[in-house]
Amino acid sequence: MNLLTIPLRCARRKWPRTALLTLVFALGATSMVALWHVSRVVGDSLERKLTAFGANILVSPRAETLAVSYGGVNLGNLLYEVRHLDEAATLSAIRSIDLSDRLSAVAPKLVGAVAVGQVQVPVVGVRFDQEQIIKKYWRITGLFPTRENEVVLGGAVAAKLGLGYGASLDLGGEPVSVAGVLAPTGGDDDTVILADLGLAQRLFRLPGQVNFVEVSALCSGCPIEDIVAQIGGRLPGLEVKALRSVVEGRMASVHFVQHLTLAVALVILVSACAVVGFSMLSAVNERKAEIGLLRSLGYSRAGIFAIFCCEALLLGAVAGAAGSLAGFAVGRHVVLLLDAAGEVLPAFNLLEALVVSLGMALVAALAAAYPAAKAARIEPSAALVAL
Amino acid sequence: MLEARNIAKSYASAEGPAPVLRDVSLTLEQGEFLAIVGRSGSGKSTLLNILSTLLAPDAGQVLYRGRDITRLPEAELSALRRRDFAVVFQMHHLLPYLTALENVLLPFMAGLAPAPRSAVARARECLDRVGLAGKHHRLPGRLSGGEQQRVAIARALVKQSAILFADEPTGSLDPGTGREIVGLLQDLNAEGLAVVMVTHDLGYASCAHRMLRMEHGAPACAA
Repeated sequence: MNLLTIPLRCARRKWPRTALLTLVFALGATSMVALWHVSRVVGDSLERKLTAFGANILVSPRAETLAVSYGGVNLGNLLYEVRHLDEAATLSAIRSIDLSDRLSAVAPKLVGAVAVGQVQVPVVGVRFDQEQIIKKYWRITGLFPTRENEVVLGGAVAAKLGLGYGASLDLGGEPVSVAGVLAPTGGDDDTVILADLGLAQRLFRLPGQVNFVEVSALCSGCPIEDIVAQIGGRLPGLEVKALRSVVEGRMASVHFVQHLTLAVALVILVSACAVVGFSMLSAVNERKAEIGLLRSLGYSRAGIFAIFCCEALLLGAVAGAAGSLAGFAVGRHVVLLLDAAGEVLPAFNLLEALVVSLGMALVAALAAAYPAAKAARIEPSAALVAL
Repeated sequence: MLEARNIAKSYASAEGPAPVLRDVSLTLEQGEFLAIVGRSGSGKSTLLNILSTLLAPDAGQVLYRGRDITRLPEAELSALRRRDFAVVFQMHHLLPYLTALENVLLPFMAGLAPAPRSAVARARECLDRVGLAGKHHRLPGRLSGGEQQRVAIARALVKQSAILFADEPTGSLDPGTGREIVGLLQDLNAEGLAVVMVTHDLGYASCAHRMLRMEHGAPACAA
């Protein structure tokens, strides 16, 4: 029997009140934990969906530029010593980074110009499987190529050449057929012919070479800078840069979802704290005689403060433990209902549950701090005379 | 052992400060039984609260073993209440969710250290002494009013205080039980415990060595 006996026995004796408060606080903890799990999975899932709107890392050879001006006329920057990348070595290096699980697509490209009849047309060699991951917004009349001698025409090129889905053409001496025509995108893809990378390498006589590689990385689990640094470490001679506008635009959406859920969770937590705080305040008023008695027996102010804080601390710990378990179950259920998990379902983590229990215990104690301080300030005679 | 010098106390009221005690002085010797009597509102309970350090006077001093205890720091006051003074109230003031034994042990439960075994043994002895053998584990709600007051007295006894302050200890009891409680206080006093009892019943007060009659906040006469 010690100081803790008092809050424990009081909680047991007033079990309906204790149960109600624990339930309210456990509901707060459940909501927070569930929202945490859902926001993590939904954020990840959202980011995977956003990768369909472009890459966020560009890997290219270091290019030297020369500013040219003559007679006061600026002729812009000239690129010289254009280098190419070895496709197999570059892709293998990128895929071998520690954070490779955060890479959703690695899309190499080789760009050049080829004569189609009398017209010079830009041709971009791509790997269509990777390209479709980062450009899910493409709408195509026809199909994506399944063979090397098939190409996709940008909308503007198709109109310019007067070709459509199923047509045949001579591409720099290679007979190819048009597998599909892209609907206008408003971007560079409208004005190019997209060919299989192998065909492009043959056309430009650059076997196994690419100009640059676009990488789509998932940044919700780690900063983009880490992924860029790891790729740069594997490819020391190359230029690896994050496309900040893409990264930030994408992360803004992910962070919006996460911040929204955090804000909702905080509102729930503050409400639960308010309930605990008000309930403790009313308990202090109800138990004035008890406080007066304990003070008359020589209990210090700190002792009285500790009794009320311990009561809240115990309540918070129990509610936190229950909330961790219930929150995990609810979060998992919601994720399954939303069909947002993909391959990653929330997993139960004992350490996280312990941290939540401890955190909720501290939050409950904080919520009870004002009523406990009020109780500690009560003078024994005032408490006893008031009755 | 205990001396009050020129104690004054007022309570705030709508019409301004209302004096409750005016220039009250008294002494309590070692092992003495002092009864403070008077009508309701005469200031006797306020005086008892000041003597037991539960209330601070507006003016005057309370000396315990020669030391002024009216302006002691909070920690020293708590230590004094824990160690030397015991208070029994009219309304028993038992914690309803603790057993009789736990209520008696309350003075030893103020910290995180468990109550010592010797204290538990003494608490059992005190309960037996006040006639509650076999009822140690009962909750207050399952005890009669007289039995609850006995638990409160056992709680006052358990820490072997120097002075027992009793504020109308018979006030909520029937006359028979009241007499038993006063008899118990007399027995304890006979064993050396100094007792200050507030009562409005002159019959009970006559059991004390000395009686202080309060009228309008001041001693009327001493008997």
